[in-house]
Amino acid sequence: MSEATIAGSAVQGRAHVFPRAPLNRFLLGLVVPGLLLCLWQIACWARLAPDYILPSPLSVAERFRTELHGGTFAEAVGASLSRVLEGFLSGSSAGLAFGLLLGLSRTAENLFGPLFLAYRQIALFAWVPLLSMWFGGGEAGKIAFVSLSCFAPTAVNTWRAIKAIPAKLRELAAVLTFGPLDYVTLIALPGALAGIITGLRASLIYAWIATVGAELFLDIAPGLGGLLNEGRDKFEIDLMLVALAVLSVLGFICARSAAFVEKRLLLRWRLG
Amino acid sequence: MKRVNTPLSARLRRLAQGLAVPAVLLALWAGLAAANRLPEQILPAPAAVWAALLDSAASGDLWSNTLISLERVFEGFALGALGGLVLGALLGLSERCRIFLDPLFMFLAQVPTLGWIPLLILALGVDESMKVTIIAWASFIPVVLNVHQGIRDVPGSLRELARVLTFDRWYSVTRVVLPAAVPSIFTGLREGLANAWQTMVAAELFASSEGLGYLISMGRQLFQLDLVLAMVLVLGLVGLLVNGALGLAEQRLLRWQEHAP
Amino acid sequence: MTFQVPRILLGLMMAAGLAAAAAGAAVAEPVTIRFGYPGVGADNRLFAHGDIVAVAHAGHFIEDEFSGDPDVKIEWTFFRGAGPSLNESLAAGHLDFAAGLGDLPAIVGRANGLRTYFLMGDKVRDTIYLAVRPDSGINRLEDLVGHRLSQFKGTNMQLAADRVLAAHGLSERNAKFINLDVGGSLAALNSGSIDGTFGSIELLQLRDRGIVKIPYSTKAEAATFGRHQSILVTEAFEKAHPELVQRVVNAFVKAARFGADEANRKAVFDFWAKTGFPVESFAEDFENERLANRLTPVIDDYLVGRYRDLAARVREYGMIRKDVDIESWFKPSYLDAALKAQHLEHFWPRYDADGKKVADGDVETTKLGAK
Repeated sequence: MSEATIAGSAVQGRAHVFPRAPLNRFLLGLVVPGLLLCLWQIACWARLAPDYILPSPLSVAERFRTELHGGTFAEAVGASLSRVLEGFLSGSSAGLAFGLLLGLSRTAENLFGPLFLAYRQIALFAWVPLLSMWFGGGEAGKIAFVSLSCFAPTAVNTWRAIKAIPAKLRELAAVLTFGPLDYVTLIALPGALAGIITGLRASLIYAWIATVGAELFLDIAPGLGGLLNEGRDKFEIDLMLVALAVLSVLGFICARSAAFVEKRLLLRWRLG
Repeated sequence: MKRVNTPLSARLRRLAQGLAVPAVLLALWAGLAAANRLPEQILPAPAAVWAALLDSAASGDLWSNTLISLERVFEGFALGALGGLVLGALLGLSERCRIFLDPLFMFLAQVPTLGWIPLLILALGVDESMKVTIIAWASFIPVVLNVHQGIRDVPGSLRELARVLTFDRWYSVTRVVLPAAVPSIFTGLREGLANAWQTMVAAELFASSEGLGYLISMGRQLFQLDLVLAMVLVLGLVGLLVNGALGLAEQRLLRWQEHAP
Repeated sequence: MTFQVPRILLGLMMAAGLAAAAAGAAVAEPVTIRFGYPGVGADNRLFAHGDIVAVAHAGHFIEDEFSGDPDVKIEWTFFRGAGPSLNESLAAGHLDFAAGLGDLPAIVGRANGLRTYFLMGDKVRDTIYLAVRPDSGINRLEDLVGHRLSQFKGTNMQLAADRVLAAHGLSERNAKFINLDVGGSLAALNSGSIDGTFGSIELLQLRDRGIVKIPYSTKAEAATFGRHQSILVTEAFEKAHPELVQRVVNAFVKAARFGADEANRKAVFDFWAKTGFPVESFAEDFENERLANRLTPVIDDYLVGRYRDLAARVREYGMIRKDVDIESWFKPSYLDAALKAQHLEHFWPRYDADGKKVADGDVETTKLGAK
């Protein structure tokens, strides 16, 4: 990557090279958002728009503080997180099992593969009405939807990863007269680990999307999506912005942690 | 990649296997419904779903709503993809842009697309503009990510080559870097279209007076499970066709890549 | 050292133990009675307004009825998604009573296989209001031609609005209908995405604050164009616990007795004000109208006729694809037993299918201020 940068600057004929130190890059990265925030705040001070249409950054921060001290905010975040987790665990494990089945068994792949591919054509949110009719609009329906959203990404990636195991390794297993269980635990899973983890990371992202969606479309209950609904009903944009900012931060933390875990796991298996 | 010529019998067998499970499920479904063992509010009989499909096709609802949904998706996707190509290229080619714009973009991109809808509804109302905007945003993100990464991934050797041949910046970008990034660009476009499709359904579930998502939503409100199921199947079919079309286009355009040195 | 328990004492203890076990076995497993209400108050408050169920809930009539039964728990769920959401919970087996379900969702649910019994009325002849922006220039229903309206599909508000609009020449052909819930409708009205929406008393305070204008209401025509709500029980629960159903109906009838009595007018409005809507809105909604005009549980020819008529309309509008069996839906036995036990058989007036009164009711003599 760095060579491309150097080559790029060399082609441009520039003498200086951009800062490489992480801290400097980070600070520079804050410039544009910071500038926008200042402009936004100034626009509010100048009363360019009524307060309820465009709350200022300061009032959003203030709203965040009040919500935090109000007590229900922690409950909302907790509720959303628990849905993400529950749905992710149930959906991904089912997806993992299914992906393993399709990857390891030719027959299963021929029997269930086409149906699965057809299922994937259906947009995820089209299932919301059906799931709420089958499970109700409460917690059960929400978790069902989040689970469903986590199923396919893990399944697909696991399936692909298992199929991508080089033939040589399969031959090795035959030579060493591995039984099926040994093959799965000693060859297939480690070999497919990288792909499986990619699938799990994708599922986690989908878990967030589905959780917010479920909270927006199903019955009211504590949650970040619920805060968005509340803000929309009461026309409280500052509340909505708080919820969105928190969603972004949580999503970022989730993504980073997942990447971290991935790196550690792959390092441990010396596959990174 | 060479096409392996599997014997016709083997391919037919594969086809039969693929259809086996759906056929069995369908038979089971129809059987349970006929034996009155299936409560209507859990799963209506296949015949009812088929009837609902035919009804909406006959009344013209199916075609007009599908068309409207497709229009929205393509409008939004076109806008989002275009913008995504521009920003992705900027981020990939210019270190300066990367430093200043990437953090803000990534922060905004972390928010699940749906989360923006309530805010957008307050700002833009419930018309087409809201839906096209959110669909455009949903397409925008994967295009930016993939184009950015695709350009960054262009091997240093290619860039070296451009320098050695004393290509100027414009030439090196358009003749070397971008073409090399085309597979990633197409991945981004494909993901963007998939996102656009998903978001269209979600946006229509939210607030709409027409579209496939609207029909599903209305079916839900009126507890017409057969209509909901019928429309879900239609969605799947249309989605398949759209993805297939994009896949074909991609295959065509990428053919030259195979012959590249 | 051993303790010699006198034989008689031992015998008494055993007898007491057996008796306790027998008593315990009578109400052995704890039962939770799950009520669902299709609506929420202002700011999503978990309270109801405008009907018998609201009085029962706010006045704790159900909880009082079962206060002596530690094995019976009462659970209330309020559905922001109104009737359609309640139907989903009913279908998923999460509710025992649909308390106050509107006419359209009840009919639609029955048509699609939800197995319930119609126990009693909850509210009839309810008024709906049309709200538009103050500057919109819409002064009559007919002015809505070519405009955009929101409708909460699947609710009794939709059905009532559809019928009103149809009577004034409006339909899908000359006006656009967008599917939005209550909160979404108000936001869309404010931002200009839609030009009009139908609603109930929540619109009155918005009009007082200058946010909307109300050019039309069905108050004058509520007998034909009003909307209705009823109390349903799942067939499963009724089969398993008929005695509990009777006691629930008893409690609702007590609440109805309280709510229909003009002497309690202020108290009733105070109950409803727990939703966060001002008392003045309820007062205006019921101006020149007796509480008993809407809060009546009786299953008379009028009520049966209304539902039969509405079911036919719903079929006509294509909202259901098969005919609904209305006759076998009603199960007035519980209501009749409750009315008899509380000596209320002649409390409410009864009307025939055309809306003409056929029997007077004692409630008509109740007066505000009389105690």
